[in-house]
Amino acid sequence: MNHMYEINCLTGESNERSMTAAEIELVEKVKQGALIQEQISEQRKTDRQAVLDKLGLTADEAAALFG
Amino acid sequence: MGINAQTSVPTFTAGEVLTAANMNISARTGIPVFADSTARDAAFGGTGEKTLAEGQFAYLESTNATQYYDGSTWQSVSTTPGLIRIVTSTVSAQSTVTLSNVFSATYHSYLITLSNMSGTDTILKATFGATATGYSYSGREWKYNAASADRFASNTTHIEANVIGTAAGSSSLIYIQNPFLSITTTFQLMMMSNKNDPGAIQQQGFLNNTTSYTDFVFTMTSGTFSGTITAYGLVQS
Repeated sequence: MNHMYEINCLTGESNERSMTAAEIELVEKVKQGALIQEQISEQRKTDRQAVLDKLGLTADEAAALFG
Repeated sequence: MGINAQTSVPTFTAGEVLTAANMNISARTGIPVFADSTARDAAFGGTGEKTLAEGQFAYLESTNATQYYDGSTWQSVSTTPGLIRIVTSTVSAQSTVTLSNVFSATYHSYLITLSNMSGTDTILKATFGATATGYSYSGREWKYNAASADRFASNTTHIEANVIGTAAGSSSLIYIQNPFLSITTTFQLMMMSNKNDPGAIQQQGFLNNTTSYTDFVFTMTSGTFSGTITAYGLVQS
């Protein structure tokens, strides 16, 4: 996980190397951000389902109506 | 001067003896080859030489250019391509890949393609350099066997480069504007996912800063991915 595959576009050469501290930090931040995005996405689905339940619609019926 | 280069384009008169030397610099040569434009210009119109006229072709060794004469000037036959390939690389089972020095002053806009992608069932994320804040995008996801849904994020840590599936065949087109310039970077993304729950995603967004970037980084937050990455620059003029 702590390896970086670097494709150098100036030289066209590729190599696998250890990640720098900044790169490890970047991956950690992206991981946290992705987790938050996933939670937001799940919450949206839950909220949507709650509305559908209130309206008495199935997901397929909602898709037919609203896309 | 190369073996094909000539210094004269001859013309022949009725009754003239046609020698092997005559044939070698006319019938055998196809498009006449010249060392440079000076040699080309000197080869026409002189005594025993063809008069330069519209439709004449020439090849210049000095610039490797094929030209034609339009009646007043020599024009280039070749056209300048609009899309220049910067790099192509096929990666295998990698979790983090960086395209270093992919962005430069040479181009303002770029196209990055991901093809035949496969790996762990998850989203492949991408960032400009080491920046992990300020990405906002909106878009929509269309699935073949489930409901479509909006797909958006505000001030998040990354863009979604592809939804990887264990089966090979996922792909993406990522258009990027102004990553190297010190103005806002924008992007448009189209992807086809071959994941178990396949579909298509389209997103447009921006990175909310004016930083100049040279690198583009792909990150799997779990597992690895394989596939071919190609970067192109869009010629500005």
